[in-house]
Amino acid sequence: MQYTFALRTIYPYLGTLWQAALVTLYLSLLGIAISLVIGAGVAVMRRSRSMPVRFLGAAYVEVMRNTPLLVILYIVYFALPQTGLRLSSFTAALIGLSLNSAGYMAEILRAGLIAIPHGQREAAASQGMSGLQAFRYIVFPQVIRIVYAPLGNQFIAVILASSLASVIAVEDVASWMQTIGSTSFRFFETFVVAAGVYLVLCQSVNLGRIAIGRALFKHLRSAR
Amino acid sequence: MTGPILEIDTLVKRFGSRTILDGLTMSVHPGEVVCFVGPSGTGKSTLLRCVNGLEDIQGGEIRFEGEKVEARSKRIVAVRKRIGMIFQQFNLYPHLTALENVVLAPVVVHGEARKEVEARARVLFEKVRLSHRIDAYPAQMSGGEQQRVAIARSLAANPHLLMFDEPTSALDPETVGDVLAVMRDLALEGRTMLVVTHEIRFAADVGTRMVFMDQGRIVEDRPPRDMLADPSTERAKRFLSSIQG
Repeated sequence: MQYTFALRTIYPYLGTLWQAALVTLYLSLLGIAISLVIGAGVAVMRRSRSMPVRFLGAAYVEVMRNTPLLVILYIVYFALPQTGLRLSSFTAALIGLSLNSAGYMAEILRAGLIAIPHGQREAAASQGMSGLQAFRYIVFPQVIRIVYAPLGNQFIAVILASSLASVIAVEDVASWMQTIGSTSFRFFETFVVAAGVYLVLCQSVNLGRIAIGRALFKHLRSAR
Repeated sequence: MTGPILEIDTLVKRFGSRTILDGLTMSVHPGEVVCFVGPSGTGKSTLLRCVNGLEDIQGGEIRFEGEKVEARSKRIVAVRKRIGMIFQQFNLYPHLTALENVVLAPVVVHGEARKEVEARARVLFEKVRLSHRIDAYPAQMSGGEQQRVAIARSLAANPHLLMFDEPTSALDPETVGDVLAVMRDLALEGRTMLVVTHEIRFAADVGTRMVFMDQGRIVEDRPPRDMLADPSTERAKRFLSSIQG
């Protein structure tokens, strides 16, 4: 038997694909933003002077990096309701994705913090800057520059990982692929189109990141 | 004569069980250029770092302009605002241009108007002979240029005391002279300076006092020419002859 590859067979489903792509994009961008904030907090915890705080930060990172996102999503969506906390599938997916990604974000940001030579903080202190001023004007701008490229990897990882949200009934691109594949029986075409959509989404976010980087670090060759 | 700008009384600094400064006492008057010499590891740099509270101390007392220096107190900021520090490794801020490096602290720490600070900074760049490098980033400058920017940066806050921690030790030989020339100008202006250095010629020409330190103590403290001509201790004699070749 021969399969005739024909993209036009899925034209009727493109309207729902657009909706699905927006859900994937929305979920991913929110997940990136939230996990950056949590990750920044955890990275700072891991450099705390207090041992218990450092331990908590490290424990968070290890738990999130050593458990599958799939399991985290199941816990948030299926197990939490048993304790009375009922979440929409989108909210559950966003929480699971953010918690998971924050573990990686924390490690990227921590590497950036470690990379700033101690002399920078000393120079700032010797000029009379407070810890907060040194962070705001000296440390933070340099950390951003260092972590900018590795963060880009993690942004893409979040977009791709968001496809797992389809297993808890989020109607994203992966979910569209499964639904349309099994209603139209044009599996090959839907899979290829879904792959293309993820590719375009990832590249758009990445190019956006690079463009922002160019503007932020316009004088520096290492901006990419 | 006015009173001392800096008084150090039986200062003790330890790192763990190692004693770095062992009951050191000295005072510095305005206009003095004090050059610290001695073998490495004898606490010269640590002494400077204690004076502006980058290191806490385990005993004794430091008073700067009559005010007690305490590394962990909030008052330390007021002391640091009046002391300029120049580091061996320059420690310029690599994400800022030379001009921005100089302007930042007066604006954010001292709350001055950016326009006024920039005007003052341009004069400082003339003084350190780097007017043509004002928009360069540290990575685009030689070590000697970076160190001169660092000097301009420390001058921008109108400090009452300048501290140089081995300012030429990380430099290529040919750029050392440019930095020393700038430091010489500052000394001639009558600025109060503490200089940790191995440049004995500079110390002899520019210093008003030479302090020879060994094992956390002051061994000799005399006018440079006297000390170089006739070190009164065997330890200083050996050290000075070894570094003068």
